[in-house]
Amino acid sequence: MNYRKITSALGIGMLSLAVISPLLWAGEPGKLLMETIDKGFAILKDTSLKGEEKVQERRQMLWKEISPIFNFDEMSKRALGQHWKSRTPEEKKEFVELFTTIMKDAYIGKTDTYSGEKVVIVSEKQDKKYATVQTKIITNKGTEVSVDYNMLNNPGGWAIYDVIIEGVSLVNNYRSQFNNILIKSSYKELVQKIKAKQS
Amino acid sequence: MRRTVLLMFFFIFTICVCKASVRAESSTVSEGQPAETPHEEKTPVINKANEDGELKHTVSAGQSDDTRKEDATPADTTQEDEEPINNDVKEEPPLVKDPLQPYNRAIFTFNDKAYHYFIKPIYTGYNSMIPEKARVSVRNFFTNVKMPVRFFNCLFQGEFKGAGTELTRFVINSTVGIAGFFDPAKSKFHLEKHERDFGQTLAKHKMHSGVYIVWPFLGPSTVRDTVGLAGDAALNPLSWISYFFLTPIEGFGNYAYDTVNDVSIDKGQTYESITKPAIDPYIALQDAYVQNRIKKIKE
Repeated sequence: MNYRKITSALGIGMLSLAVISPLLWAGEPGKLLMETIDKGFAILKDTSLKGEEKVQERRQMLWKEISPIFNFDEMSKRALGQHWKSRTPEEKKEFVELFTTIMKDAYIGKTDTYSGEKVVIVSEKQDKKYATVQTKIITNKGTEVSVDYNMLNNPGGWAIYDVIIEGVSLVNNYRSQFNNILIKSSYKELVQKIKAKQS
Repeated sequence: MRRTVLLMFFFIFTICVCKASVRAESSTVSEGQPAETPHEEKTPVINKANEDGELKHTVSAGQSDDTRKEDATPADTTQEDEEPINNDVKEEPPLVKDPLQPYNRAIFTFNDKAYHYFIKPIYTGYNSMIPEKARVSVRNFFTNVKMPVRFFNCLFQGEFKGAGTELTRFVINSTVGIAGFFDPAKSKFHLEKHERDFGQTLAKHKMHSGVYIVWPFLGPSTVRDTVGLAGDAALNPLSWISYFFLTPIEGFGNYAYDTVNDVSIDKGQTYESITKPAIDPYIALQDAYVQNRIKKIKE
């Protein structure tokens, strides 16, 4: 009797492990993403941080929480595309800083209009170092926006290298813009244009 | 007793096999993609050789064999980890041809000004008067009336299930949803709208997108999507109603109201979120439009 109990318990234990472990294993990038999004939402929902006069404080806190999940080096590299290779290390460093600021200005500002949107994970794919987490933003108007996050597993952990909103890849969008400028003029002019935009 | 233990092991075994096969499938898919790129690079070599003449043909065949070998080896080595990056960075295929750029840029600037100085003031005033819920209801109403556009395009694209869903949605929303002002088909019955238009239909029947065109007020489009717009207008009951029962001004007012209402809910925000943070707003909008269309055609 005892023997039976032990074996069946073992069997059930092994079975549940076999079922649960892939979920835990596969969920890593998605889990990290959702945790970060939840942290962001917590700040946006924080009543002590609401209001016009707290905008700067709120944006800064958000940026602190959200920015570590982005791999800005990789994003900048991809946004510059074929022109990345011919840049000097200093130029690369400067460009990463500029591109980070573009991202920050563009997307932190959008959180000011937050009004109870929700985010749900639709699916998750992982292939060695690369993962795609498909999510959906559900607005309070009932519309849904599909947002996919392409993530890369570096020694520092999983980080986002591209965001695809309704099929529009952010990095590809900027690459088209940069390419178009670089075809007609020099890299220097591109940097000037970005700086002019930011000042 | 033994049987149960055996059954459990069998169960675990099948799970492991399933997992392994799923992984194998995904890895073959990822390996299949890079294998295609050298193939594409190879074809132009042969084509050029064919143009040069038959005499050189044998030589070029030998060359292409060599290039194939050369291409195959680096692809094999890089496949392990770096391939997707290299793939993305090296290839710069223009998504759409834009020979009309000077004209398009002028229209884009005009549209941008029209949006900021004409349409935006109208809809901000409209927003302050009409609560969002009412605006969403108005949108629901117009969406419901335009059901034939989606229904027929579902049919044209061979999506009979989607066409059926659209028909069911129309029946539910027109009755329970009080003439379409509410969307109980989605909120209660979980029937999702199937956004299908004639541009997609043309794309599914292998029509190329053609050159990029920016229309005054209508915004970004391509040759194919312009034909698509005409097709959708023909399928749209609103255009029939305005043709037979309304004066041109009333018909235009109808259309303009639908558009302003749409812009007031989220289209305006989408437009600004694309163009505002952009370094070159014209290219940003063009790229976003084309990428979004590609996604919609794939659906």
